[in-house]
Amino acid sequence: MSAPSQAAAPQPVAEETPLLEVTDLAVEFRTAEGTVRAVDGLSYRVEAGRTLAIVGESGSGKSVSSLAVMGLLPPTARVTRGSARLAGTDLLALRPRQHRAYCGERVAMVFQDALAALNPVHTVGYQLTEALRARRGLSRADARARAIELLDLVKVPNARARVKEYPHQFSGGMRQRVMIASALAMDPEVLIADEPTTALDVTVQAQVLQLLAEIQAERRMGLVLITHDLGVVAGVADDVTVMYAGRAVEQAPVGPLYAAPAHPYTRALLRSIPSTAGADRGTRRRLPVIPGRPPSPAARPSGCPFHPRCDVAQDLCRTEVPPLTGPAPARLSACHFAADVLANRPPETGGTHE
Amino acid sequence: MSDAVLQVRELVKHYPVRRGLLRRSVAAVKAVDGVSLTLERGRTLGLVGESGSGKSTLARMLVGIEAPTSGQVLVDGEDVSRLSRAGRKQLRRDVQMVFQDPYTSLNPRMSVGEIVGEPFAIHGIDPAGGRRAAVGELLELVGLDPDHASRYPHQFSGGQRQRVGIARALALRPKVLVCDEPVSALDVSVQGQVINLLEDLQDELGLSYLFVAHDLGVVRHIAHDVAVMYLGRLVEQGPETDVYDTAQHPYTQALLSAVPVPDPAVRLAAGPSTGAPTAQPGLLGGIVLEGDPPSPVDPPSGCPFHTRCWLAPTLPEARADGDGRAVPEVCVTDVPALAPRGAAAAHAVACHFARELVATGVEA
Ligand SMILES: Nc1ncnc2c1ncn2[C@@H]1O[C@H](COP(=O)(O)OP(=O)(O)OP(=O)(O)O)[C@@H](O)[C@H]1O
Ligand SMILES: Nc1ncnc2c1ncn2[C@@H]1O[C@H](COP(=O)(O)OP(=O)(O)O)[C@@H](O)[C@H]1O
Ligand code: SF4
Ligand code: SF4
Ligand SMILES: [Mg+2]
Ligand SMILES: [Mg+2]
Repeated sequence: MSAPSQAAAPQPVAEETPLLEVTDLAVEFRTAEGTVRAVDGLSYRVEAGRTLAIVGESGSGKSVSSLAVMGLLPPTARVTRGSARLAGTDLLALRPRQHRAYCGERVAMVFQDALAALNPVHTVGYQLTEALRARRGLSRADARARAIELLDLVKVPNARARVKEYPHQFSGGMRQRVMIASALAMDPEVLIADEPTTALDVTVQAQVLQLLAEIQAERRMGLVLITHDLGVVAGVADDVTVMYAGRAVEQAPVGPLYAAPAHPYTRALLRSIPSTAGADRGTRRRLPVIPGRPPSPAARPSGCPFHPRCDVAQDLCRTEVPPLTGPAPARLSACHFAADVLANRPPETGGTHE
Repeated sequence: MSDAVLQVRELVKHYPVRRGLLRRSVAAVKAVDGVSLTLERGRTLGLVGESGSGKSTLARMLVGIEAPTSGQVLVDGEDVSRLSRAGRKQLRRDVQMVFQDPYTSLNPRMSVGEIVGEPFAIHGIDPAGGRRAAVGELLELVGLDPDHASRYPHQFSGGQRQRVGIARALALRPKVLVCDEPVSALDVSVQGQVINLLEDLQDELGLSYLFVAHDLGVVRHIAHDVAVMYLGRLVEQGPETDVYDTAQHPYTQALLSAVPVPDPAVRLAAGPSTGAPTAQPGLLGGIVLEGDPPSPVDPPSGCPFHTRCWLAPTLPEARADGDGRAVPEVCVTDVPALAPRGAAAAHAVACHFARELVATGVEA
């Protein structure tokens, strides 16, 4: 059922312009083995004050698509299709310099590996305000005051003293807070956080997720949270995009998605999580698993890319790529049998594109 | 009578911290600081705890990669340190290790067949039927194609590489596998395959596992018994159901409540949620601990958890210490012993106030 009633959050006005709308994004890499399509037609939208979780296994294209939106792709990569509109402006149509200027100001990103993202030779305070000094011409004194404010905002204790310290003097959790502070320096409208807590212990992860949720609610920021952890998604997301092999395979509000997935991949993922709640206590029943492994973009299966691993695949699935369409209001699924999956009944052979 | 295949008594590992020109030892990292535990034959003991709590150090001592500073490791009742070199080597065969990272733990220049058969060479053993056949059997046992023995690790996926690591660990027919985060580096969909394999092998071969993981869901699934580590010590230990359903140590409770559960009804406390708080573990209504675990170089006096304990400040015995955090004096002065508490005799907790925890039912 629609469990997480987001009463405090704005109701999703259906046709309200989303803050960030990514449409049919495709990204290719030039590699030794030829061109590989890492992202292959991804669409999603984020609204003000809402959290969109993008879930998927490693290699599904979560990071590459975010880097594309931010204009931070490596030189071997190329956006071959699609748009990313921020309040109407297509970021992908901008010149690289404009693109990067736009991002950082209005869209910011937090990376998984905070230690790698921070420069070891500069103090935390210096890095926090580098952009502010460069772009807004803040004086040193003002920059320091702002850095302290930012560290306070992300609840780093004793901010006044800690702005003078170096990244290695911070713990993993504190470094991730610094990364978040740095992303917030320009007051962005949209924050993209790529696996911000994957490297952290659960107790520290809980602190960081709570902090993100607080800041997001306060500023009515659009938050894109990238993760592979379906527990984290359930805890913080309003809407969910499930990615597989470079595409969105399912999109839905979080409650309905968990209550009744409309794509076999989502359904299988949800079943495969070992629970701490002890539903299978004593029995030690085998974990339901998805056979095989995620395909590499160089060897993507024909038709529905999930078909070699799908427990309800039909002949049609081997040849026809299923479009992302709606089996029900507010639901999207890229499965020929989405309506059947949603209703939890076996697929009607032949397949109807409903 | 219990049938212990592996026992650890008061195991300690301190690493010296050296400074200056003379590399003088100025302090010690107390990675493992007095751990005792028992692994029963044919069962799985799950070991959980945050990063740096000493899980891997303990695991390495169990398989003999690391020598303890003090304490004993007993395999089938025999104290490993008291045996001759040859006897020790023999016993070591009985306890094998599966490593976390299938990407770095396999030698990239060796074929998978060579990797799996290497223990035979190291121990100068010629298995009946020859090494080649034995390697083929091992690969089959873990669900790999024996015809792929000539391939190299980079030609395998993460999950397959982890199977290679398991096959190698099984070569010498050990009684115990020490698995250090064997599925942490794998995708969820592949994790389950390896967990199922480990469970099948246990049933088939009567293996005993010490299973180290930070994922509490995975541990609950695979383990019969669970031990919780904090700063080099065990803070709670017992049958899986007791530790998960009636956790008594404030740290275990916090850990369980921090695990995000895949149920949107359990929402993050600070989020714009209006869902009613539940007694379930998870972020909503959960206990969010402050700060990070302290350094094992200079662990807190008394109860190592007292600097982060959420319970201590709420107790009537709490009184302010120098640092401004009011906790009962005994938490700062006395190390709580790991002692049986609760319904099951096997359920042990290291907290001066665990009894009160039961009485007040902090779970709700
Ligand atoms: N060789 C070493 N020299 C010095 N300190 C060490 C050494 N090995 C481990 N330590 C320290 O001992 C403590 C325990 O480390 P250990 O690797 O056992 O933790 P862990 O529980 O396995 O953590 P993780 O979950 O990150 O794997 C840590 O503080 C670590 O930095
Ligand atoms: N620099 C690169 N060169 C070639 N392929 C790449 C590069 N970066 C990423 N890829 C490929 O793109 C795909 C998507 O990667 P990524 O977005 O990082 O996945 P995720 O973040 O979902 O784990 C993967 O198959 C990956 O191997
Ligand atoms: S389209 Fe076919 S193979 Fe793909 S998810 Fe649906 S049923 Fe499975
Ligand atoms: S002994 Fe004191 S500080 Fe330690 S866990 Fe118990 S109440 Fe908390
Ligand atoms: Mg990534
Ligand atoms: Mg470890």
